[in-house]
Amino acid sequence: MPDDAPALGLAARPARSRARLSRSAPFVVAGLAAVALWVAPAVLDTFAVNVLTRSMIYAVLAVTVDLLWGFAGVLTFGQAAFFGVGAYATAMALTYLGATPEWMAVALALSVAAPMALGLAVGWLSFYHRSTALYASVISLVTPIVVTQLIYSGGEWTGSSSGLVGFDVLPLELEGFFRLAALVLVAVTLAAWVFVRSDAERALVAVRDNDARCAYLGLSPKRLQIALTTVLAGVAGLAGFVFANASSVVAPENAGFLFGTELVIWVALGGRGTLLGPVLGTIAIDYLAANLSGDLPFLWQLLLGTAFVAVIILLPGGLAELVRRVWARLPFGRRQAVAPRLVASSPRPNAAVSGAPLLKIENLAKSYGSLTVLENIDIEIRAGELVSLVGPNGAGKTTLMRCLSDGTEPFSGAVSIGGASTAGLTPNRIVALGVGRKFQVASVFESLTVADCLLLARAPHDRLSPIGRAETLSLPQAALDVLRMTGLDRLLAEPTRLLSHGQKQALELAMVVALEPRLILLDEPTAGLTKAERTTIGAVLRTLTGDGVAAVLVEHDLDFVRQISSRIVVLHQGRLALDGTVDEVVNSELVRTIYSGGAHG
Amino acid sequence: MLLVLDILTTAAILFVVSIGLLAVFGVLKIINFAHGAWLTIGAYCAVVAAKLGLNPWAALPLAFVVGGALGGLTELFIIRPLYRRPLDAILATWGLGIVIGQLITLGFGRDVQMTPNLVSGTVEIFGADYSAYRLATLGAAIVIGVAFALTIGGTRLGLSARAVIMNETLARGLGIDTARVRLFTFMMGAGLAALAGVLLTPLTSVDPNMGVGWLIGAFMLVMVADASFLALGVACLVFGAAQVLVSTFVSPILGSIAIAVLAALVLRVSPKGFSRA
Amino acid sequence: MLKRHFAGVAAVLALAATPAFAADKPIVIGVPVGLSGANSVVAPSVVQSAELAVEEINAAGGVLGRKLALEVADDASGAAGAQKAFDSLIYQKKVDVLISMETSAARNAGLPAVTKGKVPYIYTSFYEGKSCNKNMFVNAWVPEQQVPPIVDAFAKEKGAKTYFLIGSDYAFGRGMLAFTKSYIEKIGGKVVGEEYLPMDGSDWTAIISKLKDAKPDALITSTAGGAPNVTLTKQLRGAGVSLPYANLAVDEGTAKSMGTDAEGIYISASYVTGIDSPENKTFLAAMEKKFGSGLKTPNDLSVPQYEAVYLYKAAVEKAGGTETAKVLEALPTVSFTGPRGTISMSKQHHAPLTMYLGQVQGDGSVKVVSSFKNVDPGEQCPKLN
Repeated sequence: MPDDAPALGLAARPARSRARLSRSAPFVVAGLAAVALWVAPAVLDTFAVNVLTRSMIYAVLAVTVDLLWGFAGVLTFGQAAFFGVGAYATAMALTYLGATPEWMAVALALSVAAPMALGLAVGWLSFYHRSTALYASVISLVTPIVVTQLIYSGGEWTGSSSGLVGFDVLPLELEGFFRLAALVLVAVTLAAWVFVRSDAERALVAVRDNDARCAYLGLSPKRLQIALTTVLAGVAGLAGFVFANASSVVAPENAGFLFGTELVIWVALGGRGTLLGPVLGTIAIDYLAANLSGDLPFLWQLLLGTAFVAVIILLPGGLAELVRRVWARLPFGRRQAVAPRLVASSPRPNAAVSGAPLLKIENLAKSYGSLTVLENIDIEIRAGELVSLVGPNGAGKTTLMRCLSDGTEPFSGAVSIGGASTAGLTPNRIVALGVGRKFQVASVFESLTVADCLLLARAPHDRLSPIGRAETLSLPQAALDVLRMTGLDRLLAEPTRLLSHGQKQALELAMVVALEPRLILLDEPTAGLTKAERTTIGAVLRTLTGDGVAAVLVEHDLDFVRQISSRIVVLHQGRLALDGTVDEVVNSELVRTIYSGGAHG
Repeated sequence: MLLVLDILTTAAILFVVSIGLLAVFGVLKIINFAHGAWLTIGAYCAVVAAKLGLNPWAALPLAFVVGGALGGLTELFIIRPLYRRPLDAILATWGLGIVIGQLITLGFGRDVQMTPNLVSGTVEIFGADYSAYRLATLGAAIVIGVAFALTIGGTRLGLSARAVIMNETLARGLGIDTARVRLFTFMMGAGLAALAGVLLTPLTSVDPNMGVGWLIGAFMLVMVADASFLALGVACLVFGAAQVLVSTFVSPILGSIAIAVLAALVLRVSPKGFSRA
Repeated sequence: MLKRHFAGVAAVLALAATPAFAADKPIVIGVPVGLSGANSVVAPSVVQSAELAVEEINAAGGVLGRKLALEVADDASGAAGAQKAFDSLIYQKKVDVLISMETSAARNAGLPAVTKGKVPYIYTSFYEGKSCNKNMFVNAWVPEQQVPPIVDAFAKEKGAKTYFLIGSDYAFGRGMLAFTKSYIEKIGGKVVGEEYLPMDGSDWTAIISKLKDAKPDALITSTAGGAPNVTLTKQLRGAGVSLPYANLAVDEGTAKSMGTDAEGIYISASYVTGIDSPENKTFLAAMEKKFGSGLKTPNDLSVPQYEAVYLYKAAVEKAGGTETAKVLEALPTVSFTGPRGTISMSKQHHAPLTMYLGQVQGDGSVKVVSSFKNVDPGEQCPKLN
């Protein structure tokens, strides 16, 4: 057990200074790379300079593909389209306007702005509430097809299939273009590297892992994905600008779907999700292709295709994975995880506990086709109340929870939070109204650490840094309590996939509490937990409601319900059977019938 | 009238080309991006059959068997390890498509191959000459569609496949060997793709890259059909009509991207495509 | 193996024995060509004819006492591949000249390297015309040379007044048909329809229906070579189209692979195997002898490649060396009489050519119907000379 508490405490200081060291690593590597590449043309022959110039531009694209696919989980074939649009914007501006410094600036601006506009449109089309990863890939396939077609139909204006050639370009020699491409590559890779080590990158991984949980933490997965698509479209366009200048020719295939798949192949072989893997993989494969494919055209494709299939099946992490495995075996290769320090956030001023209900459900009904799941539901819940929702399986409890937390769910009737209607609101916007929801099956981010999960839960309050990692993690007292009572505070650097079932439940509760909601929705928070864990959760809930938070709890354990509830609502066959105090409900004849009936049925 | 025939026959060809992809997607939830390569394999079966001096129609069963057998190997060695990684399966099958294309090139050369016509000449219909073969594809689509429906509806494999489509965990719980269902489904899908390849030979050039052009269209149609066999028929009719109408009245260039663009928009509006209707 | 080894040793000894040869490196000809991709069907024949030319010249003593050597590189028939191939040939293999048949996209992608690398470049593919670069010469036809024989024949012999044009949507397809249309209108004909499909499109149904609706007197098509051409022809024949039909993009090899579907198609070319001249017969016999059963049928793309090697030889001899500026000066002034007749790239970097109107026969061969001497390429690059 390397992670026991005293050892961690002692190791904290050196670990932190090592963290600082590793934070500067990207800059050191980038600096060295920039210097090396700057002098490289003096050593390399003209052929290598020319080929590597293009390879490095392609590597910029590989970085964008890797960010989208390796980190954000969006498999894209569309980066070629943005690259092509950037290259054509440049080529057309230089052809029809000229290559004076002013027009060159215009070309540069266009080469970034046009792909970004297209990226925004593609992002809007690809990502929406409940969109699937597959759909985004479909759109990324259609985009280059459409763009290529537009280039063909441009006739003389775009040069059709022959492309544009012979326009004036930046006044640089071959070496100059090599250095320009190198600088752009180093800068883009460095920026990406800093970004993937930042807190903001965790949000992308979180979206990839579990976009529903993200939405229920108040993050907008689609906005994140659209923003990423747009920015990376701009980067691809910039690469297109450099390409058009360095090669002084653009062709439709630069924007084509086949080039898009080639980029994915390079990234896969290099090692998705590793940045340096795709960069080095792209440069190596493209350079090798320039040397070999001329001599063995079909064999080269065959080898590349076979290697690609083999890597996808056997080594999904690509060649970088091999390197990492070797590295991890070396004594200095093991990296110690560092977690931020926990601090208590200043308590939020309690919203005045007014007499108006916090949650108001009016005449809610929901049906799937002819099957009615819920009808005539009217409930009002005020601040500080802890309302338990009970009823046999199939009574509609979880469905009701879903209707409360997702306004896009088709149902009739009205739900309002603090007076605001939730109609048509996506989950993240309902979270913004002050609602936190915990799912029945613990929903956390499997690839992240405990600390990262909590950090994301605080994202609506403390902005995520896109360039660095926070040294402290401020959480409301109630969330800290959950962590302390369950021992999670000592496991902050632990990846959540290694946690026990109970620990995951506790972590999710802590995440929901960390949102500082006014209303908290809990779907069987104690299912599968030990007695001690239940008691802990009960205590937390009582503290929260004591501070004026309202809670709705779906629960089967009637003893637990009796201990902590201030009110109990009984659902039976989609209808509100009873709504009263603990005593009223527990002693009612109806509840006994329902439960005994349910037991027999 | 010519327009109606164009629409119907276009839809029929699209249906024949995409049905194999649909079978695989429906049961395995995996997009077989090597589908285009299987069309090519089928067409080359026709080339081989012609070289062997067989009756041109003998290429159909030959392609079905060869395609199915190769499909079985693919399922075992490439698809099976990737069930839990559907996006990776797209990539692996795309890579496989490249490999198959190059192998065909190495084996048969890059040249366009000659294949015998299955049905030649024209038929007078509604006072105009119409390609007899295009009309024949209409029949082929109906035969394949009916055979497919009977397999799905009337055989044990079909029943198991439907169970896997609806709820795989439950199907496994009921004692259905889901691995076997997947294997047979993939073999059938691959066999149908190869069959479609033979049926394409009178309409297109036969060369190592012939399948790629059909892949995207078939893929989009299957996305819209979302594993539903009837929805695929509807999708082929609707998008086939869109392609023909746009080509005829606007521009054939727009017509050729009509399926991809319209299908993408339909999916954006209604993620389940036509299967809900 | 052993034998070849000995031969190699012998050659080295022979070289060592003749100081003139030992001192001079061979003159290297770079051939970037589409060994893979769209051009890969025709590329082997292009390489073969270049090999024959080099072998013949070397056997006859080389050029200015130096041997010729070939460096072939695959350009994958596209822009990205061409950039690699041109870079490799110019900067790595340090070739003295580039001679090649390529797609327009590949040619354009290679031109910047040609300019920067300062090498002469002879482009040997027919194309849509008006590509101008001071380092580049073209010895194949352009629309101004290819189209008039066909349209004239249709107008005079078939009495065609209305025409329907079908092409692939790319530079060559559009360029050819734009010229065709203007030429038809110039001689008083009428274009009743002009339709294009993307290069990778495989369904010509709607276009064929439009063609049938328009009821023209003749059909002229200009698709991308190979697959689209075969697809269109199959579908035209399937639909029972039997108009006078000229195909601007078909070569003898493709016609053969189309079988009976190609029968009756009119083509216009600067080379067909049936040319009845001693040069052509000698050439065909030499090809047959050198490649035997591996011979790829010589065609309108491979023969210009053969002749271009000789044109380069003539230019180097006239210039007294391989220095680019001098070779470029000499290239438009030299000529060579080969299978296609006497070729000189004397008109704005392009060449007046003898054109042949042919018709595909049932067995896939092409019968020459008539020929047109020294057809002028017209105003291609007025800014060059």
